[in-house]
Amino acid sequence: METIVNEYISRELVSQPDLLPLQNDTPLLEHGILDSLSLLKLVLFLEERFSVEVAPKDLVPEHFGTIEAICKYLRAQHQVQEVQG
Amino acid sequence: MVYLLHQFLETSARRSPNKTAVISGEQSLSYGELDVLTNQLARVLQARGVAPGDRVGIYVSKSLASVVSVFAILKTGACYVPLDPGAPPQRLAFIIRDSEITTLLTSAGKVARVQAMFPDTCPLETVVLVDCDLPAGRRLDEVPVPAGVTVVSWNEVVACSSAPLPENLAIETDTAYILYTSGSTGTPKGVMISHRNSLTFVNWAAECVCLTADDRVSSHAPLHFDLSIFDIYSSCKAGATIILVPEGASTFPVQLTKLIERERITVWYSVPSALTLLVLYGQIEANDLSCLRAIIFAGEVFPVKYLRQLMAMLPQARYLNWYGPTETNVCTSYEVTPLEPERTTPIPIGKACANMEAFAVNSAGEKVTEPGESGELYVRGPSLMQGYWGHPEKTAKMLVRNLFQPHFYELAYKTGDIVTLDADGNYLYIGREDGMIKTRGYRVELGEIESVLYGHPAIREVAVLPVPDEVLGNRLRAVISCYEGTRLSREEVLSFCNQQLPHYMVPDLIEFCEMLPKTSTGKTDRVSLTQSFSS
Repeated sequence: METIVNEYISRELVSQPDLLPLQNDTPLLEHGILDSLSLLKLVLFLEERFSVEVAPKDLVPEHFGTIEAICKYLRAQHQVQEVQG
Repeated sequence: MVYLLHQFLETSARRSPNKTAVISGEQSLSYGELDVLTNQLARVLQARGVAPGDRVGIYVSKSLASVVSVFAILKTGACYVPLDPGAPPQRLAFIIRDSEITTLLTSAGKVARVQAMFPDTCPLETVVLVDCDLPAGRRLDEVPVPAGVTVVSWNEVVACSSAPLPENLAIETDTAYILYTSGSTGTPKGVMISHRNSLTFVNWAAECVCLTADDRVSSHAPLHFDLSIFDIYSSCKAGATIILVPEGASTFPVQLTKLIERERITVWYSVPSALTLLVLYGQIEANDLSCLRAIIFAGEVFPVKYLRQLMAMLPQARYLNWYGPTETNVCTSYEVTPLEPERTTPIPIGKACANMEAFAVNSAGEKVTEPGESGELYVRGPSLMQGYWGHPEKTAKMLVRNLFQPHFYELAYKTGDIVTLDADGNYLYIGREDGMIKTRGYRVELGEIESVLYGHPAIREVAVLPVPDEVLGNRLRAVISCYEGTRLSREEVLSFCNQQLPHYMVPDLIEFCEMLPKTSTGKTDRVSLTQSFSS
């Protein structure tokens, strides 16, 4: 999962080549990789690719600060869906 | 009498020196402190050779330093050129050379990027660090700058005399700032705005919103966007407090909501897409935004669907739709009244602001007077730009003789926007006939993106088209035809664009084809391309 997310962000959202390669713990917010537009794009991608729905209340730095954080959030969502499922 | 923008600061500092002028996170400056700091920085700039009429660049992230910089530069009689912190080095290098900037205000954190802008010769002579002191342990001579450039530290600024500079360094018809906007032929063009041009808007806006010293006004727009003119100068005129919204703080809509609540912001001004994101993801109803008394939006059409939701969530606020290109700043305004539930059409752009006149001219060259009739919108009045820096021909195309003024030679700005009149005399925006579009409120000339892409050796033909999006306004789609035998990947195209264009101008939908469809006259058939697009 981390590889897929890393690859998407590296390819689609990073505009400065000197930031690559992205580590899974690279802070995405400090380096300006995520702004309001790229965040939206990322959310749309994650929702489609991983079949989750990102609730507005989850659109917070804690869940999107790093690729690790994103994956942790996504896995938690899958668990919730399975329970509800 | 105020005839120069920075005189508002002097007046407000005299009247209420201890009133908070600007807040950035935990830091703030009172009017008195801001006045002192800007005098000091102005003196340092003068000592380093900045003279009235010079162009001084500002390359900082939104911070107290941004506000200090603009006023300091104005006090020297020079004009400021705000550089987009998010733009690639190549683009900023172009702007610096184009406007002949030799003095640049920047932060210690951005100095390395300045180096990246000028791998060969550097036109800069002086770089002034306007944020906090150098990082602990760093020395001034360790700051990496291109050869031949002198670095001035913030320490030097705060050690300087804070006596005010003479008043007569500028007059109202001198340039106050130059804002660079997208240029259809491939490079951005600088819109020159005088103090008088700016004050025409600043004064009207402060009155329209009834700004008082009790107001807390957000500063969401970046400095290189003319929405910042209201945020900074109208607030300063009223003696209000400006709350800076740094770039990072608006990434997550929820953070923005919390900022508005925490800082008790009373007046908000931004592009519609920022408000749409607040409606969709900002959890407005879970927070207390009762502090907001006026919500103003400009820069693009606000989809009625989201405006309606916002008005339902925040019914206590006034809603104002402002319209106007960078070349005139806001020139028409419409106060939104409760929306009929069935309404789907965009709200009007309204009527001309005080001291400005807007009129539409139909295809027969006559003024539009009847509701339902449409024509191109022209604007006359003192807020019209001085011109495009270094482009007298382009200027002459847009600042034309007002044929409806029989008594003397008068200019009118040709907006390129097609409008119609409604029964109440309000103008409604219909569209444009050229390749200029808005995306997230940013002005983008499709031709500029195409021009950049044509610079790639593998690209034979390209068309960049807008794809309407209800949240973002427009997305950008590039359809590319490569030369025989060459291959181009999506990554290569993105990377190529990122080097030269700001992120909002980089297409995110990229298609490759053998050949672009043509019309019978041999031009690219954009209509056919638009129709063939399936998301």
